[in-house]
Amino acid sequence: MVYEVFARKSRGESLRHIGNLNAPDDELARVYSFNTYDEEKWFDMYIVPRDRFLEVFNRLDAAEAVEQA
Amino acid sequence: MADYTKAAELPTETRAGVRDLILVLADTKRLLGMRFGNWILGAPELEAGIACASMAQDEWGHARLLYSLLKDFGDDVDRLEHGREADAYRNMAALDSEPQSWPALVAVNALVDAGLTIQLESHAASSYVPLRQRVQKLIEEEAFHSAHGVAWLRRIATAGPDAQAAMRAAIEAVTPAVLHWFGPDSARATALRNDGIADATGSDLRVRFLNRVQPLLDLTGAKPAAQLDFSSFDEASRRTQGTAPDPNTIRQIRGDKNRAFLMD
Repeated sequence: MVYEVFARKSRGESLRHIGNLNAPDDELARVYSFNTYDEEKWFDMYIVPRDRFLEVFNRLDAAEAVEQA
Repeated sequence: MADYTKAAELPTETRAGVRDLILVLADTKRLLGMRFGNWILGAPELEAGIACASMAQDEWGHARLLYSLLKDFGDDVDRLEHGREADAYRNMAALDSEPQSWPALVAVNALVDAGLTIQLESHAASSYVPLRQRVQKLIEEEAFHSAHGVAWLRRIATAGPDAQAAMRAAIEAVTPAVLHWFGPDSARATALRNDGIADATGSDLRVRFLNRVQPLLDLTGAKPAAQLDFSSFDEASRRTQGTAPDPNTIRQIRGDKNRAFLMD
């Protein structure tokens, strides 16, 4: 499963996307995120399984819809 | 209880015990880092290799920190790091040879790391201040090592009967050495406890360790060692007399091949 990784350097900052990784479950995904993205000194870090992303829209879908119409 | 800010302030008997303890911890971390490092390539997935790289880096950093404490005891730290033969190393015996399989490395990761952490926790309120000041950072960094070991152990233990059997064998190969490493409740260990260097002696540490790892043992049905034999136990090295890690590993650790490039 692919997990997307988010982090920020200080409390006031917005979270930003810093990368992704493969892991079989949430437990290892947490460990791998910590180890893989440990070059910076982060304030906090979060992971989201990619399949939990809810699409609002994307431009590519919209363009295809127009083409098909 | 009195705090000791310098080695010179420690009672003579205790001073030798603290010095030996720090060297045991440093050598164990040095070897553990080496064992992780050798799995950077060859781990079952890229992310696990990265985790091994990160853990190796942490362990070597911890070893450095611990070796540097020995300056206070009059040791030549450079000689400790580069000038000793294999039989002078004081690492936990579970690290004497290279783990031959991924389950073996996972057992080391989950159980040797846990043993070290239990030992470090016993110094969290140590009366020897330089040790106390460093222990907290080491324990914090160990948390993610343990999480890696535990997650992998669980994954292998639940991946079918063959994997579970391999994991059980690996656990049973490592556990006795960790239990043995905590040592007997000797006069020396008791003196260290009474002087506030540690808050426990061997038996208590074994109980703490087993309480922590029992759920992992239960995942595979592994049994800890039945009987521990301390008849040839050397207290200074916390090893059975006459045993040593493999010399090749130590040559690599010392960096023999590249000593010529070291500028002073």
